[in-house]
Amino acid sequence: MGLLSASATFVRYQVLGDPPANFWDLVADKVSRFAFKDIDDTYDEFSIGWVSVMNMFDAEFAYASYGVADYVCLTMRVDERKVSPKVLKKFCLKEEERIKRERQIPKLNRHQKLEIKENMQLMLMKKAVPVPATYDLIWNLSDSSLLFFSTNQKAQELLEDFFKDTFELHLMLQVPYNLAESMLDTAGRQALANISPAVLV
Amino acid sequence: MDLVDLIVEKRFLGQEFLSWLWYKSEERGGTVLVEESGEDIQLIFEKHMLLEYGEGESLEKVVCQGLQSELKEARTGLRQGKKLEQARIHMVRGEYEWHMTIKASLLEFRSVKVPKTLDSADEGDDDEAVEGRLLDRIGMLETAYKTIDQLLLQFIKIRISSQWPEELSRLSAWIHKG
Repeated sequence: MGLLSASATFVRYQVLGDPPANFWDLVADKVSRFAFKDIDDTYDEFSIGWVSVMNMFDAEFAYASYGVADYVCLTMRVDERKVSPKVLKKFCLKEEERIKRERQIPKLNRHQKLEIKENMQLMLMKKAVPVPATYDLIWNLSDSSLLFFSTNQKAQELLEDFFKDTFELHLMLQVPYNLAESMLDTAGRQALANISPAVLV
Repeated sequence: MDLVDLIVEKRFLGQEFLSWLWYKSEERGGTVLVEESGEDIQLIFEKHMLLEYGEGESLEKVVCQGLQSELKEARTGLRQGKKLEQARIHMVRGEYEWHMTIKASLLEFRSVKVPKTLDSADEGDDDEAVEGRLLDRIGMLETAYKTIDQLLLQFIKIRISSQWPEELSRLSAWIHKG
């Protein structure tokens, strides 16, 4: 449901604060510093970074491909290793049984069980393949608006933090009320603040 | 007020806007005037609507599906005090057509289908063609949400003015007409 898919789903943000005058000079450095780093060959649990909207394997951005006229087009890629709770439980029980048999004891104490859980979590995490997720964005520099192509709240929270880390600018989600505020003058904003829900019937 | 409180407390604004937009669309048989540009556009509510009733844990949702003329269940829901939270809209502006689902309380745009403007024969894979396609698509998405912004501003201007009681009574009469 991203920017380039047949049907797009998005929410809107306002970028608060002005980008510096030499923004395009700085953006290359900022994007490359926060570009996506692959974790397929490591044991890292989580990786987040920018990739090209055209190709999730392109984190090099040859010829500044994120710049399209007055827009910055980027994809936020998030790779995460996950272990299903059911799988973890199964391996813990299996290991507990094995230890009980080996030591010929009827049950394990809490500390032993916790240790097994930690070891199993680590072992399974190393085996897990990172699951990728990508979220496109378009930042219109002329009016500081930004479209983010996901309605997932967790993805939105990740974007808000990661955007701030990268560009040192805050994002404000646009909902009908603050959007209306931005289009009204002072008197209009005051009048808007005073309205209460209408009974339509 | 922080954003979380704003979303909860002002949730009604987007829902009132979407109900008003449905009324404006039906008032002139699917034609709505965008006052800012003085342009008539086609805006037809179709296929899918979602209404809400209650708040918090007691929130109930009702989905109504059918062709535009058969959204009687949704209208009945409005009569019973349910709020219009989501609607599928077919918009025609100039020579282009969009289909989109609008979620009212957060003004989310879902499943937006933009007009196709380039013949597949014109599409290449060189950087310039890709950039052109991207800009074309961004332009079409911007037209969709900017049109909705213009209509939101139109609604808000009435909503905060002395014309609102009169507009509200027309809207109520339309809801009751079924």
